[in-house]
Amino acid sequence: MSKGNNKSVMKIENLQAKIGDKQILKGLNLELEAGKVHAIMGPNGAGKSTLSKAIVGHYDIEILGGDITYKDKSILEMEAEERALEGIFLSFQHPVEIPGVNNAYFLRTALNAKLKHQGKDELNAAEFLRLMKGHLEMLGMKSDMISRSLNEGFSGGEKKRNEILQMLTLEPEVIILDEIDSGLDIDALRAVSEGINKMKDGKRTFLVITHYSRILDYIEPDYIHVLKDGKVIKTAGPELVPYLEEHGYDGIEED
Amino acid sequence: MNLITLKNKSREEIATLLDVKERDSLVEKFATLGLPNKKTEEYHYFDVEKLLDVDYKTLNYIPKAIEEGDKIEIIDGVVTKAPKGMRVYSEPCESIDMDHFDSLYYLGHLLSPRIIRIEVDGDCHVEILHKYTQSDALINYRIVISNQANRHTTMYENFEAEDIHNTLVLYGYDMHVAQDSTLRMVKLQVMHDNKYSMVASHKVNVAKNANVLLKNFDFGGDQSLQVLKVELGEHASIEAGHLLYLNENSKRGTASQIIHRGEHSTSKQEAKNILDGQARGIFDALIRVEHSARFTKAEQSAKSILLHEKAYMASKPQLEIYIDELEASHGATTGQLDEKQLFYLQSRGISYIEARKILVIAFANTLIEQVKDTRHQDRIKSAFEAVFYASNKG
Amino acid sequence: MANEGLDKAVSGEYALGFEIDIETDIIEPGLDADTLAFISKKKEEPEWMLELRIKALKKWETMTEPHWAHLDYEPIDYQSISYYAAPKEMIDSLDEVDPKILEAYEKLGISLDEQKQLAGVKVAVDAVVDSVSVKTTYSAELEKHGVIFCSISEAIRDYPELIKKYMFSVVPMADNYFAALNSAVFTDGTFVYIPKGVRCPMELSTYFRINATNTGQFERTLIIADEGSYVSYNEGCSAPTRDEHQLHAAVVELIILKDAEIKYSTIQNWYPGDETGKGGIYNFVTKRAICEGENAKVSWTQVETGSAITWKYPSCILKGDNSVGEFYSVAVTTLAQQADTGTKMIHIGKNTKSTIISKGISAMKGQNTYRGLVKINASAVGARNYSECDSLLIGSECGAHTFPYLESKDTQGQIEHEATTSKISDEQLFYLRQRGITEEDAVSMIVHGFCKQVFSQLPMEYAVEAKALLELTLEGSVG
Repeated sequence: MSKGNNKSVMKIENLQAKIGDKQILKGLNLELEAGKVHAIMGPNGAGKSTLSKAIVGHYDIEILGGDITYKDKSILEMEAEERALEGIFLSFQHPVEIPGVNNAYFLRTALNAKLKHQGKDELNAAEFLRLMKGHLEMLGMKSDMISRSLNEGFSGGEKKRNEILQMLTLEPEVIILDEIDSGLDIDALRAVSEGINKMKDGKRTFLVITHYSRILDYIEPDYIHVLKDGKVIKTAGPELVPYLEEHGYDGIEED
Repeated sequence: MNLITLKNKSREEIATLLDVKERDSLVEKFATLGLPNKKTEEYHYFDVEKLLDVDYKTLNYIPKAIEEGDKIEIIDGVVTKAPKGMRVYSEPCESIDMDHFDSLYYLGHLLSPRIIRIEVDGDCHVEILHKYTQSDALINYRIVISNQANRHTTMYENFEAEDIHNTLVLYGYDMHVAQDSTLRMVKLQVMHDNKYSMVASHKVNVAKNANVLLKNFDFGGDQSLQVLKVELGEHASIEAGHLLYLNENSKRGTASQIIHRGEHSTSKQEAKNILDGQARGIFDALIRVEHSARFTKAEQSAKSILLHEKAYMASKPQLEIYIDELEASHGATTGQLDEKQLFYLQSRGISYIEARKILVIAFANTLIEQVKDTRHQDRIKSAFEAVFYASNKG
Repeated sequence: MANEGLDKAVSGEYALGFEIDIETDIIEPGLDADTLAFISKKKEEPEWMLELRIKALKKWETMTEPHWAHLDYEPIDYQSISYYAAPKEMIDSLDEVDPKILEAYEKLGISLDEQKQLAGVKVAVDAVVDSVSVKTTYSAELEKHGVIFCSISEAIRDYPELIKKYMFSVVPMADNYFAALNSAVFTDGTFVYIPKGVRCPMELSTYFRINATNTGQFERTLIIADEGSYVSYNEGCSAPTRDEHQLHAAVVELIILKDAEIKYSTIQNWYPGDETGKGGIYNFVTKRAICEGENAKVSWTQVETGSAITWKYPSCILKGDNSVGEFYSVAVTTLAQQADTGTKMIHIGKNTKSTIISKGISAMKGQNTYRGLVKINASAVGARNYSECDSLLIGSECGAHTFPYLESKDTQGQIEHEATTSKISDEQLFYLRQRGITEEDAVSMIVHGFCKQVFSQLPMEYAVEAKALLELTLEGSVG
């Protein structure tokens, strides 16, 4: 990375990946600095979502070459759940509905899996509910949201808040927010941003994937990476945002 | 001839009774399946034995010279007219499905060693008129319909009967829908006064990338069962619609099997049944997704309304699935006209009868309006209204 | 997707396949009038019962085994089955149960010791091993409320009037092939009578255990809920792991009088056989309830995870006006299991209502069929039915089939039937895994979610058991 000698938490080198028959990532390089907010911007079809899927080990992705290292270890051979337990979290662009699976039950199972992985004691139901209460209030979520089926019948905003609720609960270290602002009204956007900002403690690292710069008014990025045709073509500071707004992605010169 | 004499007979006896030679495999299929009765799944709600157990007079099926006309006209199983340039032949059947579930499919082929073959050429509209003029007769004939690759054809099937009575028609087609083509078959059959009964046993093969649309409009009284088997190849699709509007002592309906063989094949089957008088409606429809048919989509729905306390609806929407890579669903409802809607219309000054008509037509319209040709759509609508007024004489 | 993970997730081992090491008193295989006389004598039955058995046998001999179901199995040789087997100790001391049996029941999670049960969650148990009831708990306490809870053999001796009046009244002797066989050779089972206006003070249950080799189990259960009464009854079952198939052909009759209610839950966990179809129980069961009086209500809940073959259609005859029938079912077929199960709702009375919720899960080579009849007679003015039949497929070699029969003769009746077939979506699985949940746990979580509507119908303690059982059936981990 261009600036300083700060510690990198994740390093993506020459990553090539395809979905189906189509190669999307064509030698992507990216380094995430621990504790910073990285925004990935780029036109539709540049490979933004593919990048996030590749990091979490989504079944759609076939890696053709390159590597992703997290805390100095390659994660490409790791199962999706291992990556999650190691602290990588993806807030999905379209969270799936799972009928009949109680939201609280799901979240407690996930949390206890994580605690167990860390060698800590699991939470009992009462402790868990107490933890939930605080989070729900902060996100402006009704308490019945956690007794409903996971994402079933949730509105777009409710689904996104539920993603952030999971993030707050699982306390991951690398947080990927895939189009977190899509389909959110202003109140939801504010609540979601508040949740995200609460997690910004100088240690956690954020990868904010977005098509529009709106969300960046709420979550201040440290770095902007412009993704185009499967590669990062430019890395700059937040000063790039107004430029992009004015000129779009076409005017960007490669680093 | 009385067809019930074929019940529980050996192959040799059947061959002798039907006077057939060298069609051993067909005779064997028929003997194995046996003459249908109440216990036969697809005839469970249709009293077929009673229809078979009658002494019918038999007819001759000697091909006649075909006159030129605006449609294909088949009188008592013999082609009399056809549009100019239409290729219609009388010849032995070369493509019989040796794995059909219906024994009357085989009986039909045994009784009619020569079939009527219609080769549809190019993109066109064809009308087939079936006419019956003989009383107390067994009228048996079969058609083979084939089209060409990449072509889009619409066929209209209509049925007329003179002032006859107690005739039984055993009919059916083998349809071959060529690759990348579309074939639409719109059938309108209005029956009443016990002129004839019918069992139609069809087989439809839908080749790769081909689409078939079967739209049936079965109105009125009497007895008729359509037995249908459809096989879908890769990326093939079927859209089947069945509208039943029955009155009097009618027993009519469809017993069908749609079999997905190819990957990415789709089926959509929709039945709407309106039962008045002492009518019995039958919708016994199976969609089977074979192991080879990954990424299939199958959808089935049956909605029925009963308008009379003696009316009866038997619905059996069935899914038989041997693979997990698919989407399949079915739904069925049986109910009646909505009291609140009826009252609402009446409160606006519409008579009870008219209000009923409006609601009944509204229920049926989703199917009727799928017939795009306005002339044919109007014909179906007026036939529908005729049945309505016959059953609602105040 | 990682297929090994899924396969592992759906091929759980059968945990209850142990054998109870006791001596068994067993008769030679074969079935004729002498067999019936032997059984009848063992049970100290009155003469009229033997006559009924012989009558049933004669009818059975004229019938043929039905094959309309979507099931494929080896022919059953009825003469090679032994029709009576009982733990030997029983004969010497009627009051003392062999400690080995008590121990076995503890192992199955069922306490036959009244003292050991926690206060507040009393469950009365009738424990049936092979052909005999070895112990019925809480009978004395129930008697204070006028509730009769005993083995059917005792009931034949002690309450002949009730038996004569109600046995064969819902499932006639020759109703079907397997019911006729049962009527001739039935050995034990449970009898329950809840008197007028009594709400049964505890859950009643029967636990059936097949233990002897080469036997069949032919139990018969009869429950009568008199006017205004209520009872919740549960049955469970298991069998040792064996290479041969064993036959289980039971009959259950429920009679619900005016304003009464029976809630009948089953957790069926007979040995399912292995993945090649070797071994396992053939389960051919006839269960039927009649709502005789007005406002009567019956609710069948079943969780079917075991058996090589399941052929079972718990039905409701809704005769009384405003009576209600419910059927909630989860059927799991994995390994090489086949299930053809569903219900019949026969609407006769006015404003009768029925609900059907069926959840079928097929994995590995399992074949799962829902077959259900909803019949609304012309007399059932204003009858209503709602059915929902969903199938979940796991893997590409299994099958799910839905065969509803909907017959309506009532202009004011309403039937609604919905069915869907789907697989566990990759997307759902991935979502859970991204939150750190293992693939196995994710599958079981999704499956539980799919079954939720049915599990919520079970009494609390059984819901927990059902959930655990489903996990066992569908997960690799034992214990």
